[in-house]
Amino acid sequence: MKGSFHIIVQNERIKYEFVLRRNLTIIRGDSATGKTTLVDMIREYKSLGEGSGVELFCEKQCIVVEGNGWEKQLSDVGQSVVFVDEGNRFVSSVEFARFIQETDNYYVLVTREGLSALPYSVEEIYGIRSSGKYGGLKPLYHEMYQLYPDAANTSELKPKKIITEDSNAGYQFFANICNEIGIECVSAAGKSNICSELLKCKDENIVVIADGAAFGPEIEKVLKVIGQRKQVVLYLPESFEWLIIESGVLNDKEIKAMSEKWENYIESSQYFSWERFFTDLLIKKSSGGYLEYNKKNLNKAYLATAVKHKILKQVEWWKEA
Amino acid sequence: MLNIFFGDMEDVIFNTSVYFKNVYHDEWITAPLSVEMIAEVDKSKVIDGGVIDSPVLGKIPPTSLSGGVKTLMLIENRPDKVFNATNCGNNCAKWLLKIAEKKDVTINLRYMMDFGKGNFNIKVLNDDRVVHCMEELVAAAIQYV
Repeated sequence: MKGSFHIIVQNERIKYEFVLRRNLTIIRGDSATGKTTLVDMIREYKSLGEGSGVELFCEKQCIVVEGNGWEKQLSDVGQSVVFVDEGNRFVSSVEFARFIQETDNYYVLVTREGLSALPYSVEEIYGIRSSGKYGGLKPLYHEMYQLYPDAANTSELKPKKIITEDSNAGYQFFANICNEIGIECVSAAGKSNICSELLKCKDENIVVIADGAAFGPEIEKVLKVIGQRKQVVLYLPESFEWLIIESGVLNDKEIKAMSEKWENYIESSQYFSWERFFTDLLIKKSSGGYLEYNKKNLNKAYLATAVKHKILKQVEWWKEA
Repeated sequence: MLNIFFGDMEDVIFNTSVYFKNVYHDEWITAPLSVEMIAEVDKSKVIDGGVIDSPVLGKIPPTSLSGGVKTLMLIENRPDKVFNATNCGNNCAKWLLKIAEKKDVTINLRYMMDFGKGNFNIKVLNDDRVVHCMEELVAAAIQYV
């Protein structure tokens, strides 16, 4: 399944409206914001249709999966939006992650757990808030909002150290340019090691670079470790390959068109996470040219001054370095 | 004291909403602490043991309260059990500390709940360490969630 889906769920008292853009969406946040009510309304509509008193508008089927029979419930479902409420232990299992990887559904998971087996984006973690858009006799309007907007926001921090999630081409790229300006660059060798790397460093100006497309499971922990430390900045592009693609160094018209709405081109059953799509796209588009991309070993052409500067032009914090 | 086991735990009541539905008593709802928690977390008013007035949902039964408040009431009223408090959002943290002021409470957490800027006494059961602020709690427990 690919594309974005506008969903409206409402009854006489409550209205929810949101857009899903990727295969994995997480809803969390404070208690009593209406997460379970949303799932309950979808379950009732699926079970009784319009006779439930719930109205649901979505071009795809919406269903709720729960309990020990989740695998059986999912086995016949395709091209659907699947909701799972909190309280379902299977959501954090490796079996669930393996199973849904091979399906062509979108999943909306209500949970505060990190779910380390699922590569979801920092941009697709939402809370629900009542906007008060409708008052009086109209249903109370609920919308989803990004819990970590601009988690990768820029700042005027002058970094003394860079920590990269990547240990391959991305690390090699940033290590090279850090070396040029005399600052340290360390690979955490995986997103799950970033917290421990941060705990080792105190009172340093640090930029953490990780793949935002799959950093969802770590974002809350990393933000807790950062706490009030103003000298740590997160930089979370979709992935290093995305950074190259978006820089325009490949000068490819098809890429320009695709970048307007990536979600229309990324088939969820093929790409569990967008970072894999960007890697494949970059390899395909650069194949045979002087910028031919190799994820394991960075092609030196990416370190040529003009190319390097074009890639770094999009990196706001770099201008301060 | 509040005792927390972080991460996956055996013999924990995981789906607290289902458990609450099957074990709660009307007196739990009208207890002063519950009335306060329901007012603050759910922004709702307890009418009696069977009816709560919600500004969004109208008159609702206790089973329709938020997962967070239902879990808090279970923790308060069934100290013999260990509940999955991951169903409680950060807005339940102060109530967990308040419940634990009067008795020893053990909960399971699968995320790093924010207990605020103040001082507290929390025992991290994974390694029996007692911590007193968020910075200490994060350092002690982040590896388990």
